[in-house]
Amino acid sequence: MDLGDDFKVSSKGKRKSYEVDYDSLSQSAVEKSMRDDAEHIRGILGVENDTAKLLLRHSEWNKEKLIESYMDTPTKVLVTAGIILPEVDPQSTPTPIRTQTSNSSSSRRPTRSTSKLLSSLSSGSRSSKSSSSSPTNHYSPPKVSKLSKSDEPFVCPICFDDDPKLRTMALSCDHSFCSNCWTNYLASKIRDEGEHYLRCMAEGCALVVPDGFIQSVLIPEPGAPIGDPAEEAENAKVWARFQELLVRHFVGCNPNLKFCPYPSCTNTVSCPSAASKLSLTTLVPIVSCGARGIGGQTLSQSQQSLGLQGKEHLFCFGCPIESDHRPVVCPVAKMWLKKCRDDSETANWIKSNTKECTNCQSTIEKNGGCNHMTCKKCKHEFCWVCMGPWSEHGTAWYSCNRYDEKAGQEARDSQSRSRASLERYLHYYNRWANHEQSAKLSVDLYAKTEKKMEEMQITSALTWIEVQFMKKAVEEVEKCRRTLKWTYAMAYYLAKGNEKELFEDNQRDLEKAVEDLSEILESPIEPENIPNIRQQVTNKTVYVQKRNEIVLEDTANGFLDGRWKWNATVDGFDDPDPSAIAL
Amino acid sequence: MDARLRRVNKEIADCKNDKTSSIKIEMIDESPFHLKGSFVGPEDTPYAGGKFEVDIVIPESYPFQPVKMKFLTKVYHPNVSSQSGAICLDILKDAWSPVLTLKSTLISLQSLLCSPEPNDPQDAEVAKHYMTSRGSFEQTARYWAQIYAGAPGGDGKAVKQVDDEVAIAGLEKAHVDQFESLGFPRGKVIDVLRRLNYRGANVAQITDDRIVEELLK
Repeated sequence: MDLGDDFKVSSKGKRKSYEVDYDSLSQSAVEKSMRDDAEHIRGILGVENDTAKLLLRHSEWNKEKLIESYMDTPTKVLVTAGIILPEVDPQSTPTPIRTQTSNSSSSRRPTRSTSKLLSSLSSGSRSSKSSSSSPTNHYSPPKVSKLSKSDEPFVCPICFDDDPKLRTMALSCDHSFCSNCWTNYLASKIRDEGEHYLRCMAEGCALVVPDGFIQSVLIPEPGAPIGDPAEEAENAKVWARFQELLVRHFVGCNPNLKFCPYPSCTNTVSCPSAASKLSLTTLVPIVSCGARGIGGQTLSQSQQSLGLQGKEHLFCFGCPIESDHRPVVCPVAKMWLKKCRDDSETANWIKSNTKECTNCQSTIEKNGGCNHMTCKKCKHEFCWVCMGPWSEHGTAWYSCNRYDEKAGQEARDSQSRSRASLERYLHYYNRWANHEQSAKLSVDLYAKTEKKMEEMQITSALTWIEVQFMKKAVEEVEKCRRTLKWTYAMAYYLAKGNEKELFEDNQRDLEKAVEDLSEILESPIEPENIPNIRQQVTNKTVYVQKRNEIVLEDTANGFLDGRWKWNATVDGFDDPDPSAIAL
Repeated sequence: MDARLRRVNKEIADCKNDKTSSIKIEMIDESPFHLKGSFVGPEDTPYAGGKFEVDIVIPESYPFQPVKMKFLTKVYHPNVSSQSGAICLDILKDAWSPVLTLKSTLISLQSLLCSPEPNDPQDAEVAKHYMTSRGSFEQTARYWAQIYAGAPGGDGKAVKQVDDEVAIAGLEKAHVDQFESLGFPRGKVIDVLRRLNYRGANVAQITDDRIVEELLK
């Protein structure tokens, strides 16, 4: 019976145990689900679209919490989200800059008709206010108004422009500014500060600028007089950036979603199975956003001629490592990378080339001379060979006849433990680093392979499609080296035992197969043995592919079964058996 | 004309025309974007009567980004660095609004001197001093205002040179003398006592041994 139909499977068919289910979403797809959420909220709460959007942003897209709190105290929610102004005694909100503050804050509600009345009352104030003709309530879309002649000339309180043709705009708080200042303000906040929650420009005003207002400021309405094209292009860019910031905020609030970390990529990946921290101990959520290459970067000549669109955007959904770290789970991969960073080259050199004074633990490098060491710091005298105190040697040090002295033995023990631990680490590190290096050289290998593919098309009767086996082989080698690299990080932390031996057997088989294939790919090509090579490479590629699957699948199953035991404390796993703890 | 230039010129002009205010803004050189502001210390504070000068730099995106200000005159205040004059004030950071002007910002600085915010300090040592013994803090702040900001002080000249350092650090002469007599250099004693905030109620809490220990470090 095929259970596959009952499960959601990826487009590639049956999902392997080392793969996770995920969906790649474009920016517009994410925007659509944002719109759906806003629509949902709009329907339930009966508010305007812009209000729904601001409410959702304010509640970090937690719909349930938003609906609950809105049902309880709608006014309070609207006030804290910056959608309406709080009901306060006008006298208690002094705003030092605007002289007509008390009038404007009382005039903001309930309708424009009263506000008009009050604005005529405040005609004695220094800066006058714009007034619009249509009666609107305080959720109103932007008010764009030309000044009526009866009012005192409007002076923008920011740029001090008093051009009578000035276009002014205000939120429902009636703090009017000229449209140029609005544009500059919004652009500065969005572009330079990356803010998406923008407040009114007036000091202390808590109203948040709704999306519709921002759009009307940045994007000229159809039929509007044509402005400076460079400026309009810049504003359109700011508007696009604003959209992106909203998407990023939405994605950041949702644990099922993650933004593609590749530069200038705007795709999002949805992977609900890896959303909880606990799931990261049983699976390695390597996902791809579906895009390739780096936006705006032109591909090199060789890459282009190979028809490569650049690298696939592979990344881990569970941790910040921006590459495929299968088969190792995130906590182990993170531990390993941290260890590699901490145990830098310097530390390695110190550990392999120096010894510690057995008395004061100062690090000493012996740079020549005899083995009678005198510590510069504590003046302790000891033998470099046996690390025992020099006093026990007397004058007959050559035979080091006190070799079994207890003091010397202990000193050597602790020293050799530290060396052994270092050697163990270096064993794994060197192999790890080697595979990383080889994977980096794969670009060269691509170029070489490309040349070989051309040669083959010339020297043999093979067509373009028939020489693709070379490219496939190179890609497979690179993929397997990535796996191999991480198997060393895994093996370093695996507790000794049968499981580890089986793991290392699989690792060895894969490594051998990869090296064999690599060698064939690098060897010179004679026209007469091309069919032979083709046969060999194709066979080996299939074999390598299989070995890689075995390693990935077996390791992934091991995580699902909880089969792997560690020799160190790993985040999210049980503490290791004391006997298994490595040096 | 460039909106930023127009705005700054108008701000400078407005300030010049306003004869009643104690706020002044002057140009340092030809550029209207690097200015020097000054105001008088508010009445009924330790800063009363002093003239406080402020360095003003107008950024490219002014007035949509806040103006950069720091004190040129040394000020003893929890929200002002006693070393660099850097100011911790919300409107110079996230609470900035484009409707604020140089003048209103200087007025805010003036009122900052009236109402220190020691829970959000710029200078932790000064803030500690303020929290533990207000009287001693005010004395030191007044002394600083007298010697750096030219505030009128009754006994400004009577203070002996040797005690200046002690007063600037806001410490008691007797305390400094006590540890100096143990053979430690005076400068070091002042440094350690200031760091430990050896003032007011703290004096009873910090043992002499602790101080000697710090002095020996």
